[in-house]
Amino acid sequence: MGLQRARGALARLVSVSIICMGFAQVAPAGMIGTAHLVNEESRAASLSRIEVLLARQDVSRQLEAFGVDPALVAERLNGLSHAELMQLEGQIESQVAGGDVVAIVGVVFIVLLILELVGVTDIFKSF
Amino acid sequence: MSGAIRVHRKSRLLPALFVLLAGCASIPPSVSELPVRGGSIELADTPFYPQERYQCGPAALTTVLAQSGATASLDDVVDKVYLPGRQGSLQVELLAATRTEGRLPYVIDGRLAAIWRELEMRRPVLVLQNLGVAAIPRWHYAVVVGIDAGRGEVALRSGTDQRRVTPVNTFLRTWQRGDYWGMVVLPPGELPADPDRSRYFEAIAALEQTGRAEEAAIAWQAALEHWPNDSVALFGLGNARLVLGDYRAAEDVYRELLDVEPGMVVARNNLALALAGQGKFAAALRQIGIALSENRDAALERELRDTEASIRRREAGGG
Repeated sequence: MGLQRARGALARLVSVSIICMGFAQVAPAGMIGTAHLVNEESRAASLSRIEVLLARQDVSRQLEAFGVDPALVAERLNGLSHAELMQLEGQIESQVAGGDVVAIVGVVFIVLLILELVGVTDIFKSF
Repeated sequence: MSGAIRVHRKSRLLPALFVLLAGCASIPPSVSELPVRGGSIELADTPFYPQERYQCGPAALTTVLAQSGATASLDDVVDKVYLPGRQGSLQVELLAATRTEGRLPYVIDGRLAAIWRELEMRRPVLVLQNLGVAAIPRWHYAVVVGIDAGRGEVALRSGTDQRRVTPVNTFLRTWQRGDYWGMVVLPPGELPADPDRSRYFEAIAALEQTGRAEEAAIAWQAALEHWPNDSVALFGLGNARLVLGDYRAAEDVYRELLDVEPGMVVARNNLALALAGQGKFAAALRQIGIALSENRDAALERELRDTEASIRRREAGGG
C-alpha cells in the first residue's frame, strides 16, 4: 500500500516535472512511445520513466557544473532523447567535446616517451 | 649486462608508442569509392560563420541549420551547444539543438560516398574530425560543402576559413579519427539521400520524445511514402496524432495497423487512449482487455494496467 502511494507520488512528480520543463506537447498518460519499437537501447529507456527522470536531473547538474548558465539548462535538456539522456548520465567528462583544444598533457607525455626511448630520460620505471 | 636489460626494457616501449599512434596507421577508404569518377560538386552558397575560440561546434551547426532554412543565430546556437567547462561541444548536444530548432538531425553512414550523396541533395554535412592524433587529440567540427573527385579535394567551412581545401586522403584520416561521425539537418518531411531505416526511425522517435509531435507526424508520413505500410512508421504516425490531440485520426491509423498486425499490444494500448480521448470509454476498456489477454511481456503488463486505471479514472471523472 505504502509502496503504491510512493509510486503514485513519484508518477505525479514525473508528470509535474515534464510539464515544468516546457514540452511543446505532452503525451497522454499511458501512451507507449514509438521509441519502444525502434531499437534495444531506446526500448529499455522507453518504459523506465523514473530512470529517465533521474538521468535528466544528473545531466542537468553536470551541465551546470561544466559552466552552462542555469537559465539555459532546461532548454538544452528538452532536445535530448531518453536514450541520449541515459548516455550522458555521469558521462559528460568522458564524451568527446569538439572545440579545437589540444591536450597539452598529451604532448608532454609523448615528448617524454620519445626522450625515454632515446635514453635521455628514465621516468617510466614501471615499464 | 645492464645495458642489455635497458634495451630490453625500452623495446617494450615501442609497441606502446605504436598503439598510441595507431589512429593514423590504417589506410582510410579512398576517393575511388565515390559514385562518380572525376566529377565535382560544391554548395558554394552555403553560409559561413567564422568561429570564436573553441566554438567550432556552434559555428558548424549554425551553418547546416541555416542551409536547411532554420533561422537560429550563432549566439542562439552557442547557448544551446557550447560547454564552457569542456571548451567544446558534445555530439549529442548538436543533435539535441537541431531538434529544438524544429529540424531532424540524421547521422549519416561514415563513408565519403554518403557525403557526396547528401551534397547532391543540396545538404552540407557537419563532420567531427580529429586534427591531431589519437594520443594528442584536437577534436574539431567542420562542414563539408564540396568534393572534387578529379583533383582529390574536399572543401570545408572550417574554423575561420571560409573555404578550406583539404586533400581527400588527409580529410579521410582526420574523419576516421573522428570515428567517421557526420550529420545532416533535415527539414521534417525530407528523407536522407540513402536512408537507413532503423537510424532514420530512431531520429524521428527522438523528435516525438522531445515534444516535437508536429514535425514527427510530417516525418512519419514521409517515411510511409518510402516504406509503405511499415508497422513502426504507422505506429509513429498514430502516436504523433495522439500527442497532438487529433484522436480520431490517431484511431484510424492504429486500426489500420491492427488490421495488419492484430497482436501488436502497444498499438492496442494507444488505440485505447485515442478512444478515451473521444470519450468512448467502453470501447477503450474493451481494447485494453484484449491487449491484456494477448500480452506476454511482464514490463508491458504494468503499462497496460496503468492505462486501464487512467481510463477508468477519466470515465469516473466525466471525461
